[in-house]
Amino acid sequence: MTDTATRPPQIGRIVHFALRARQANMFLVLLFSLFIGLVFGGFLIILTTPALMTSWGHFFSHPGGTISSSFNTIWFAYEQLFQGALVNFHSLRLLIDNPSKINLANVLAPLSGTLTYATPLIVAGLGLAIGFRSSLFNIGGQGQVIVGGVLALLVSISFNLPPFFQVTLEIIAAVIGGALVAGLAGVLKAYTGAHEVIVTMMSNYTMVLILGYLLITSVFARPGVHDGASKAIEVSGQLPYFLSHLNSALLLNFGFPIAFVTVLAVQWFFNRSKTGFQLLMVGQNPDAARVAGIFSRRSIIICMALSGALLGLAGMLKITGVDHLATPNFGGSYGFDAITVALLGRNKPWGVFFGAIFFGVMYTGGAAMQAFTPTNIQFSLSQVIQAVVVFCVATPALVIEAFRLRDGASLISTNGSGGWV
Amino acid sequence: MKLELRGITKRFGSMTANSNVNLVVKPGEIHCLLGENGAGKSTLMNILYGMLTPDEGQILVNDEIVTIRDPKDAVAHGIGMVHQHFMLIPVFDVADNVILGSEPVKPWPVIDYKTAIAELLVLAEKYGFEIDPRATVENLPIGTQQRVEILKALSHDASVLILDEPTAVLTPQETDAFMVILRSLKESGKSIIFITHKLREVLEIADVITVMRLGEIVGVTTPSETDERGLATMMVGREVNLVVDKNPATPGDVVLDVKDLFVEDERGLTSVKGISFEVRAGEILAVAGVQGNGQTELVEALTGMRRPSGGEVILNNVNLHGESVRKFLDAGIGHVPEDRQRFGLVLSLSISDNLVLDQLDDPKFHNRFGRNLKAIKLNGEQLRKEFDIRSQSAEEPVGALSGGNQQKVVMARELSRELKILICSQPTRGLDVGSIEFMHRQIVAIRDSGVAVIIVSSELDEVVALGDRIAVLFDGEIQDIVPPSTSREDLGLLMAGAHSREVSA
Repeated sequence: MTDTATRPPQIGRIVHFALRARQANMFLVLLFSLFIGLVFGGFLIILTTPALMTSWGHFFSHPGGTISSSFNTIWFAYEQLFQGALVNFHSLRLLIDNPSKINLANVLAPLSGTLTYATPLIVAGLGLAIGFRSSLFNIGGQGQVIVGGVLALLVSISFNLPPFFQVTLEIIAAVIGGALVAGLAGVLKAYTGAHEVIVTMMSNYTMVLILGYLLITSVFARPGVHDGASKAIEVSGQLPYFLSHLNSALLLNFGFPIAFVTVLAVQWFFNRSKTGFQLLMVGQNPDAARVAGIFSRRSIIICMALSGALLGLAGMLKITGVDHLATPNFGGSYGFDAITVALLGRNKPWGVFFGAIFFGVMYTGGAAMQAFTPTNIQFSLSQVIQAVVVFCVATPALVIEAFRLRDGASLISTNGSGGWV
Repeated sequence: MKLELRGITKRFGSMTANSNVNLVVKPGEIHCLLGENGAGKSTLMNILYGMLTPDEGQILVNDEIVTIRDPKDAVAHGIGMVHQHFMLIPVFDVADNVILGSEPVKPWPVIDYKTAIAELLVLAEKYGFEIDPRATVENLPIGTQQRVEILKALSHDASVLILDEPTAVLTPQETDAFMVILRSLKESGKSIIFITHKLREVLEIADVITVMRLGEIVGVTTPSETDERGLATMMVGREVNLVVDKNPATPGDVVLDVKDLFVEDERGLTSVKGISFEVRAGEILAVAGVQGNGQTELVEALTGMRRPSGGEVILNNVNLHGESVRKFLDAGIGHVPEDRQRFGLVLSLSISDNLVLDQLDDPKFHNRFGRNLKAIKLNGEQLRKEFDIRSQSAEEPVGALSGGNQQKVVMARELSRELKILICSQPTRGLDVGSIEFMHRQIVAIRDSGVAVIIVSSELDEVVALGDRIAVLFDGEIQDIVPPSTSREDLGLLMAGAHSREVSA
């Protein structure tokens, strides 16, 4: 082993910089994970594109052409993915040449789609991260998202208040609903020792079935139609769009600033609030927390309730900002995607924020890739890349070893959730 | 087996934990490694045991250079280690823990417990351990858990045994028995590297003493060439006061009044059986006793951690029976728990955060925006200086500190509150002479400031040095409360269950 300190000073600076650059940190691990994901996706593109496979079959007769055509195909696909999810350079150029409303709308369209998709996921991810950081594993995201969504819908159907109050009431209902469902799991854990994973997981099934039932009752079902879709949320109860004055196709809504504020709130909660600190303590070392006079039962219940509250809010953001009505699979895989997002963000509020946006990018970008590549590269490819990236981020040791990063030990051991992530 | 470490250097970032360390351990030798917490002893032993890789230097076994990459290599070279913090699986039983990693199978893949247990019993008998192979480790007292660790190392045919502060957790009687074991190990040709802080033990048992300070070897000597004072000076680098300086106590009003206290342990067995005593302001009551005689449950009851099954705990005329831990703390009880890592600290949090763990409600640490991080940090820096907690800053995780410094964090935290009574359980367990001196001075200082103090310790030296009165606990009852002038022999007899009358007779 060598050490920077022992090098002579002249070459030391360069070597030092090089070694510093290889010092493992989360940013590097993320970067390399993304790289691995894209390389893996590249291989899949080659394998699933018949023209490229044929070309590889004749590799030895024209190796250059094979490599360049493969590279071009992959590059083009990723270009579509990027431009479809973040910013389209073509429309950006048009905007610069001719600043008009329509051109501005075209520039913002990809990002709008990405953030719209990411919004509920940010809040749901934060909800789970609260639990994970306190070593409580709320697996009931799906159920709590459903509860939040259904209660928001119920408010929208039952009341007809001015938009601001209507939306506020929806938020309150969704937050309380989510908090109660998850809080119940917390109470059971605190007083009977029932494991929260089992209880919350079971609550998922319960909520899915209750949702299915509710959707055919007269309260929720559209009169005369029994296709499982509910009445729509009135405009007064919808989260207003941001950019609809530019183009009605821009769906980014006020859910995003709500999610943003939630990130700040959770950040504050863990860094500055007494309760947040107590949850952290109970999560890291319940025995020491008890000696310090912290009532761990109360902490468990509060933590689960808070986690559920945010998932309820996520459900509300989804139904009032995106879907505008409920279907039997309203909860979808949100609860589980949110677990992955929390993992990707290493349970840190900003990590979750960008993790969810990454999911948004892969979602909207994947669709664009499928639409605009000549061979219609499947949307699922973006999900595969996403999965590979998540896998790599979840195993920093692998990435650190593969790229020979230095001093990764702290990164591997510090995860703030007691071994879950 | 002859073992040699040659020019070992190990750096962690800018810190040099070991600097050019040379050490030779001859066959059948008890080699004591002495040094303050953080002197680099554990680092050195972890290198030898393959848990860390040295930056420079070689390890030689029987004059041949060997590479030890992981503990498996170390075991293969006949090196066994008993860690200060046990590496046992709490929910497994003794036999499981001993055979873990080298399970005898017959027929594959069935574990041959019969052979395993038989071998275990033979081994235990050979070295005089009394042990139930089928007892679950988490239910065993710490002293017994340690014997399991030693048995485990011996079962791998270790010819060099590294013992990292083995006696820190033992009672005086157990220590005596342990010394006998060490000698018999030595006679059977095994080399022993014995890490300890206890000078008395070193002088009693060592063949060679190596003293480390700040990552370097500062001296090699033998018991006949030196004494406790000399060793302490070598370790700390200055003259150390080995005797606790204290004036006679000036007891004030009764602060804590315990009446007819009964406490049950987890299994529902009564382990504190009707204890009554008082502690006055400005005095130290030392509770002596062999571990497992109800001390843990007594302390838990006095700090609100465990609800007594009978009796009263009255603090300043307020009956605290059945109240929450929070109420106990608010009433002015300071608690330095026995197992600081498990009960006293959150290792992943910073020193500053750990210094306010039980003071989250203190308005001092709050402002309009929630927890006042600046005040917490400032408080951390202040206490770090005041208590000489050795770290780069108060923002380091507490888990990165050595045992002594961790204990200073706990002590600093408790003393920074407004206290009526301080309850310390094994306050200097595993600490070096420098830290012990420091802790003892703090405890005496808090006594002199008019706080009542209870010290629970299985360390006879400590009990005698600190206590103004000594309560001897045996089998959940107080045998007697005696003055510190009582002879060690009499205390030993009381601890073994004899009554005062019999002792004086």
